[in-house]
Formats: sequence, C-alpha cells, structure tokens
Amino acid sequence: MAAKKLSKEKVGEVLQELSKFRLITPVKSDDVVLFREIADPKEAFLEYGNSTVPPKKVVFPQTETLFRFTIGNPELREKNVEEEGTTVIFGLRPCDARAMSIVDKLFSWDYEDPYYLKRRELTTLVGMTCVQPPSINCFCTSLQGSPFGKDGLDVLLVDMGDHFLFQPLTEKGARMEETLASYLEDASPGDVERASSMEEEAKGKIVRSIDPQGIAEKLPSLWEDPLWKRVSDACLGCGICTFLCPTCHCFDMQDEVERGEGRRARMWDSCMFCEYTLHASGHNPRPTRKERTRNRISHKYSYYPKRFDVIACVGCGRCISLCPVNIDILEILEQVVEA
Amino acid sequence: MAEATQTDFQPNIVAFLCNWCSYAGADLAGTSRTQYPSNVRVIRVMCSGRVNPMFVVNALQEGADGVLVSGCHPGDCHYMQGNYYARRRFKLMRNFLEYLGIEPERVRMSWVSASEGAKWKEVIEEVVEGVKAVGPMNKFQRRQLNW
Amino acid sequence: MVDVSKLRETAREIISREDVRELIGYRAGTYGFRARPAFVYDPGEVDQLIFNPACVNNLATYITLEEKLPVPRGQEPDLRKVAVMVKGCDSRALVQQMAENAYERDRILVIGIPCTGVVDMDKVQARFPDVLGPGEISLEGDKFVLIFDGRREEIPKEELLADKCKRCRFPTPLVYDVLLDEEVAPFATDDYSDVEALESRSQDEKWAYWEEKFSRCIRCYSCRNVCPMCYCNDCILDRLRPQWIRRSVDISENTAFHIARAYHLAGRCIQCGECQRVCPVEIPLMELNRKLYKDVEELYDFEPGVKVDAPPLLSSYRPDDPEDFIL
Repeated sequence: MAAKKLSKEKVGEVLQELSKFRLITPVKSDDVVLFREIADPKEAFLEYGNSTVPPKKVVFPQTETLFRFTIGNPELREKNVEEEGTTVIFGLRPCDARAMSIVDKLFSWDYEDPYYLKRRELTTLVGMTCVQPPSINCFCTSLQGSPFGKDGLDVLLVDMGDHFLFQPLTEKGARMEETLASYLEDASPGDVERASSMEEEAKGKIVRSIDPQGIAEKLPSLWEDPLWKRVSDACLGCGICTFLCPTCHCFDMQDEVERGEGRRARMWDSCMFCEYTLHASGHNPRPTRKERTRNRISHKYSYYPKRFDVIACVGCGRCISLCPVNIDILEILEQVVEA
Repeated sequence: MAEATQTDFQPNIVAFLCNWCSYAGADLAGTSRTQYPSNVRVIRVMCSGRVNPMFVVNALQEGADGVLVSGCHPGDCHYMQGNYYARRRFKLMRNFLEYLGIEPERVRMSWVSASEGAKWKEVIEEVVEGVKAVGPMNKFQRRQLNW
Repeated sequence: MVDVSKLRETAREIISREDVRELIGYRAGTYGFRARPAFVYDPGEVDQLIFNPACVNNLATYITLEEKLPVPRGQEPDLRKVAVMVKGCDSRALVQQMAENAYERDRILVIGIPCTGVVDMDKVQARFPDVLGPGEISLEGDKFVLIFDGRREEIPKEELLADKCKRCRFPTPLVYDVLLDEEVAPFATDDYSDVEALESRSQDEKWAYWEEKFSRCIRCYSCRNVCPMCYCNDCILDRLRPQWIRRSVDISENTAFHIARAYHLAGRCIQCGECQRVCPVEIPLMELNRKLYKDVEELYDFEPGVKVDAPPLLSSYRPDDPEDFIL
C-alpha cells in the first residue's frame, strides 16, 4: 500500500464524501473540543491539539443499550450494532487510536464482547499526526507510542504543512483509499523520508517522560507502602482521570424501566468513585481514596501488562492536565520507582 | 394545521395535593359535581412540605406537561409550617427552571382549603390554560431513546 | 502579598502543637505554573508550603471530604484539629459548613490569607502552553509577574484574574485563628449582569443555551466532589432506591443532575467558583449557582456563608415571604 498525497484544500470534499458513512470528527463546542457525529463537513474542527473527551466513546459509548424488554414478556430484544452502520472517525490522534488497540485485548479476551467488537469492526480510524505535542503533559514516547504512531489506525495522515501524506495501514485503510481515490494524488518521492525525519523532530518536542521498566513487577510489593496515602491525600474522588482516559474501560450495568418498557444499559464507571466495588452489604474492599488510587495505578501499570503484555496507558496526559488538584501520574510512577 | 394541534393539545398535569386542605378541596369539588378540566392527575401527600422539589423535575422528565403543588393557606397548615417551607422551595425552583428555559406556566403552586371546591376549579382551569398556551413539554423529558 | 517565610514559620508552630493532626496548605504543582494542595503532618514538611496567585483550590473542601473508617475496637478516634489555609472566599465555606453544624468550631484551626485575587489557570495555560516549569506567579501592583525558564513576563492583572475574583466582596477571611497578612479591603462589586443577561432571553433561547452545555456533561461529578458544600454522606446522585437521577448520560438525566446539584446549593453556595474551574467540559456552572444566589438575596435577603449562627435558608421561613406566584 503506497502512500498518497492529500492536499489540505480537499479535506472538505473528503469529509463530504465520507458523510455517506456515520462520520465522526473533532468538533468545537465553546472552547471544548469533543468528538461528535457531524452532518456538515464545516462542523469539523481539525486544527486542534487533542480532544478533552477521547474518541473511545464512539466504540465504547458512555451509555449503551444492550437489550430492551417489556415487563411481563420474557422476550429480550437485543441491540443490533450493525444498524449503526459503517463509521469513520476522522482526525483522531495516534495515542487515542493506540488506546483502542489496547482496550481491544480486554474486550476480546476470555469473553468476546459482541457490542464492542462489532462496533470496532465497523469503524475505520483515520488518524492525524501531532507535529506539535498537544499538551505539555504528553508522554506517549515513554510508552511505545509516537506522535506519528500507527498502532490501531487504519489510515495515518501525516501533516506535511500544506498537505497530508495519506498512509493506508490496514485492509480497512486500503478500502478507504479506494473510496477517496479521486481526491488523492501520488505522493512526491521525498515525502516519505521527510515524514520520518519529521517524526524524530516531533518526538524530540515531547518533554515529559517515564521509564516504565520494572514498574509492573514492583507495584505489588508496594501494596502497603505509605506512598499511596500521600499521593491520594488531595484526591477529590471525581471521575475526571478515568472518564477522560482513552484506555479506562470499567463499566456498570443498570436496568431502566419506563411505563412497562425497559432497557438494560451499560455505562462507564470509575474506580475513583466511592461506590465502585461497594458490596450490597455496605462493605467496600476499597474504602478510601488511597485504595482507589492504588487500584487505578496498579490496573494500568501492573495488572494489565501482566495479563496482556501492554501498559494500559498511552501517555496522552489528559489525567494530568485536567486533574483539579494536580495529581500527576508521572510523579506517582517516579515515587514508585524510587520507593 | 399547527394551530389546530395547539388547541387539540390536552396537557398532562400532575398535582401534588396536601391531605388536609387541597385534597379535601378537590374532593369537595367532586362531590359538588363541579365541572373542571380532566387533565389533572392527583397525587395525595400528607403536606405540601413533603413535596421534594425533585418530584417536579422527575414529573417533567416522565412526561408531565405541568406540575401543580397545592397546600393549606398560610397559617392553616396541619403541621403548623410545612406550607411555609414549601413556598420558599417552589418559588426558587420555579425561578430556576424559568432560567433554564422551562416556562413558569408549567410549575404552579396554589393554596386551596378544604372548603374551596370552587377555587379548585378555578385553579385547575388556570393551570390547564397556562400549559395549553405554552404547548407540550419538549425540553428534557425522558424520551424513548433510539437504542 | 503573604510572606512565605512567615507562612512557613506559622505553619511550623501550628503543626508542632499536640492538638493538631494535619495542616492543609499549598505547594508547587508538577508542571507549568500550577499550585496544588499540600498535606503536612510533620514540622519537617513545612518548607514546601507556598502561597501565590496560582493557589486556586478551595481547601475547605477537605474538612468534609475525609473518609472516616470505623475505629477498631479498643482504639480511640483521633480528635485532633485540622489546620487549614483559607482565602477570603474559601473561609465562607467554613462559615457555611459550621452554620450547618457540619462540625464544631474547635475541630479546625483556620489560617487566614487575605487575598488579592487568584489567576484563571486556563488563561495562563493558554498564553504559556509550553512551560514545563516550575513557573512562579506573583502580583505586583496591577500586574501579574510570571517567572519561568529564566524569563520574566508582566501581564495586566485584569487579563489573567479569575472571573470570581472580579466580583469578590470578601477578600479577607471571615473566620480565622491566625491571619497571615494585613486585611485587604474589598476591591470589587457584583452586579449580576451575567445572570440578568441570560434571564432576559426568551425561554427557547435559554433552553438552547443550556441544552448545548448540559449535553457536553460526562457526569464525572468533579463539580460535586470539589464543592465544599457538597458533603452529604448519602448523596442523591449515588442513591439507587429511589434512583432520583439515573446514571445514563443523556440530556434528560444531565439536566436533572444539574438542576439537583445547583438547587441543593440554594442558600448554601458561597461562590468560590471551584465547580466551574474544575469542569473538564467547561459548563458555566457558576451561572446556575449565581442565579439562585441572586434570587435568595433578592427574595429572602439572605446571604450564605457570612454568619455562623444564621438559620439555613430552606429550613426556615418568614410568614411574609413573597407569594405572588401562588394561585
């Protein structure tokens, strides 16, 4: 699959072409950038750093009906994800795409989650490189990621200034290339080499880092370490760090009934909430924010890599930038290394 | 056509009536065979002070086009002061909902005593007229979501 | 400006006392210009404490946020005081908490900081996105001075000042045991022009405005958790029986959530602005709180968080309260 050239003037037409699918792009709402389904290509806001809420909500919606039922009728009407149709997420960042490839491992592990996997199958990810790191707190390069990373993406658009280098990466990417053939030109020969030197340059602009070596093995030995109390002292117990994390995937189930008609829905849950793992008896094995913070870090940096061989963090920096009390995962990890 | 729909619109009004005055007042209207609009669905509570302002919000979510809270006249509360508390709560809630864009015609409060069957009729007529004028609630009710 | 050496010395004396368990103050953040809450348990830790216009957090929250585990049999509960540093606005949260009998006055030791205004960190971040820091902010006259990476920038106060400070009527703490500096005279007034501008719009315009904002809400509940007045052990948002507000995230439940949150603060919100500051999707929550604040003041001549012995607004009444709206 050879790289192509997509001139920036043609992006509007490309989005028009793609609007025959369910097209999701970054959108600006006041000063907040979010991923939303768009009807008009003009709504797309592509000159952004990174979105506040990651695009994981497209494949793993915050609230998702699994089936519907009628009281008194044993028949369940299951959600058919197929009806949502082919979806294109256009313009997401490499870290968020890589996060999806990490979460895929969980949802296709001992139980294959039909809703998530079907939606993933229907979704094509067209990513855009970060020429400038979107945030001072980016640290993707510490975790096998890159501002030009390809993991999880079907197409990578390398921002070359006046045009994009269109790189199809998967079969879905190749189909995307066919769909958009009339808007693509042959890439100039120097572009591919220039892209790789640009990648090195972009990596160099990322200032924060962590060496994750050995953390997964060390974390269990720090179970009772006083550091957990100290790092969670200021924690408010809100859901910002988890809801805005592109790899967090905990969910809760709720039944909702309205005049005899009901649905079972799953919705995001956060390990930082006080009811998380609260038992019906009133007992909670994670009774305070200390245990909950320990769980958040351990899940990402110990349990997940032990099970799936990959750290459940992509270094997007959202949890650091948006934490109301500046709890900083890099600082916690440094303390883990030093402890 | 749109106008015709407007006049055909029959609103759902949920009314929270206190046991001692307003419920008895509505009952008196019934036993006196007073005719009044049938749009109102009555929920009897012990006191207007028992009505949590979230009842109003939940009723609007669940499909009510308007909500009425009715209690004893000031000074007449069976529990001495429940209606005074209710008065503060609903004044603030009504203003607040108006600030969000929910027409104040949808959130009403009245004092109806046990002997005021005729006043009950007037109150209901006014509430129903008010809600009819602003049309069906279409802002934040729980919709049958498309999956 | 608070003198840092005096602040640390006071803190050292306080945390050395036997009847004080911990001291909550501020320390430098991990990047840029940020400052963050500091928890000091030992006199050896006081040298990290700072105060500058980046100290935005309302630390009064932590008094009621503490999660208490059951005391094991045979052990005594730790009843020592918690010392807390508060700005003027933050101190009103303490006043209101005590007016509601959340705890006794002698449980806390209040270190008051007369405050000349804090920055809006989003505005600082937008101007200096690439500063890894640590950067320092101070106020000199009518300019904020930012020092970072060997550079010094002066920015007019108006451009970085947090919106809540532009309306601040209580720069000096209303309750304190120690005051770290000279009292600051009130330097601003509040005309509620933002609330009035929204009030004057049509119903449909108002709903369109709020529908867009509420539709962004992800229900992370950071606005609730950061709020010093949201300290119910059993919050309406977490209850399952009855489930007043469903967990599903859609415009109906989000609206009900925001009504419940703001309304539960009627006559209680002290306008520290923390909810709006922390909201990741920038919902203007203070426009909701301020509407109720304004109504409460106009209708009932009541201002929360100024008098420790004031009766709570919604569990008190006057026989002649306004009732023009009653049929």
